[in-house]
Amino acid sequence: MNYPSQTRALWTAVISVPLLFVAIAALQVKIDATTRAYTPESDELLLRSGSAVRQMSLGYDSLLADIYWTRAVQYYGSRAGIDGVKFDVLWPLLDIATTLDSKLIVAYRFGAIFLSEPSPAGAGRPDLAIELVKRGIAENPDNYYLSGDLGFLYYWRMKDYPKASAAYLEGSKIPNAPSWLKMMAARIAEKGGSLETSRMIWSEIYESTKDKTVRDKAMEMLRGLRAQEDEAQLDELAQEYKNRFGHFPASTSDMHDAGLLRGIPADPAGYPYVFGADGKSGLDPQSPVVIPPKLNPPPEESK
Amino acid sequence: MSATVGPVAINTFREAVRDRVLYNLVLFALMMIGAAILVGEISIGIERLVIINLGLTAISIFGLVMAIFIGVGLVYKEIEKRTLYSLLAKPIRRWEFLVGKYAGLLLTLAVNTAFMTLGLAVALFYVGRHFERSDASILVAIYFILLEFALVTALALFFSCFTSPMLSTLYTLGIYITGVFADDIRSVGDFTRNPTILAVTRTLYYLVPNFHNFNAIAAAAHGTAIPFSLVWQNTLYAALYVALLLLAASAVFSRRNLK
Repeated sequence: MNYPSQTRALWTAVISVPLLFVAIAALQVKIDATTRAYTPESDELLLRSGSAVRQMSLGYDSLLADIYWTRAVQYYGSRAGIDGVKFDVLWPLLDIATTLDSKLIVAYRFGAIFLSEPSPAGAGRPDLAIELVKRGIAENPDNYYLSGDLGFLYYWRMKDYPKASAAYLEGSKIPNAPSWLKMMAARIAEKGGSLETSRMIWSEIYESTKDKTVRDKAMEMLRGLRAQEDEAQLDELAQEYKNRFGHFPASTSDMHDAGLLRGIPADPAGYPYVFGADGKSGLDPQSPVVIPPKLNPPPEESK
Repeated sequence: MSATVGPVAINTFREAVRDRVLYNLVLFALMMIGAAILVGEISIGIERLVIINLGLTAISIFGLVMAIFIGVGLVYKEIEKRTLYSLLAKPIRRWEFLVGKYAGLLLTLAVNTAFMTLGLAVALFYVGRHFERSDASILVAIYFILLEFALVTALALFFSCFTSPMLSTLYTLGIYITGVFADDIRSVGDFTRNPTILAVTRTLYYLVPNFHNFNAIAAAAHGTAIPFSLVWQNTLYAALYVALLLLAASAVFSRRNLK
């Protein structure tokens, strides 16, 4: 091949290849749009049996478990927060991941969160979350974190305080388990459902995790619990205000003017509390604080 | 198209047809489809589904194996057997030789796929005793598989221009697997929320040939209509990528010292 011909071929490629890449990328954007429009959201999983997948893994079950766990995270992440969404394949994915690698602690712990969170933040299946964590405990009896998680699920999601206390107590018996597990067991047995106990559990979660998402969630719950506690106190003071003046206060300023409050109380996000016509305090509509659902109060608090 | 490309393509096709491996693969694919009938007999309600899935998968896998293993040897074999020198002594340019070789293998794959499609159609008729209107999706899926072959063959040919068959196979397979998981690569970037990883995965997503585009097997099995817009978009996508690879292959091959 002569020199000009070589040079011509080279220059044609140098000029055309980048242009073609740009055209290909633009076309890919169009294909993505077409594919999204015609491909139905499919929640299909060819193999739902973990043991079947294990047999087909040819000894690479640990790697496959990682892949299945990653898919579970992606599956959850792509759906969480969307109203009306279903998480039909979440349990099979977690089931397969933990069957393939029974030591995959992260799958038990985070999988339980994904399953137990109420919709649309999660699958709203605390029963399956408990099954998953129980399986994790059976496979990893020396892991006290899983016992803590089980206690949390019974306490927060199922509101079954005796079982929650028992789970924490079981965890506290594991060698090298932290002392707070025993404290938690005793605390729940004594005062299950109290704001104080809830705060203790979430504080422990906040302190013990390194994961940012879980820490953020724990902080959100702690802020919500604080607001819940503030509201309970404000409601009591509003009743006292009514006893004095014959009507409920319109705002916290009224209570401050009446000398019932030293300052204007604000929620953890800095927004002042507001009052309804029924004298019940509440959060400012602009406030990002979320009040967690109320648990069954212990007998002494309900009196 | 140059008049010299045709004879090279025809000769490549003839050479491939003479190759016994080719017949074995066709036979094997037909055996797979036969096995699908047996699977259909022992399962309930999914006979058609199994046959379509297994048939299209077999067509895809055997075609890909052929595209890669024959494609990587297209240029190398000619150099190794020294037949290239006598060819290039004739009034034929190097790019014409490459395009001819490429077209010849593509023709082989098309003929091979046609036979396998026939086998699939027979198997499908055997279990259903009739064809359905939605079966048109199967033909579209097969067309997409052919587009996939065109891309893989171009990749294999490109690598075979400057490296050994072994390495060409590894590179082609590597890019093919990356392309199949292109969607997942992009998802990983989206989930990490790390701007650097996001930029890398996005670039990779648009850079590697996206073989995920051509996967319509599930849609065909469930009788889902495939929009015409996707057909022309995929056709154009494959054509552009093949043009890109052939241009790059021509540039590399034209500068290669064959002495």
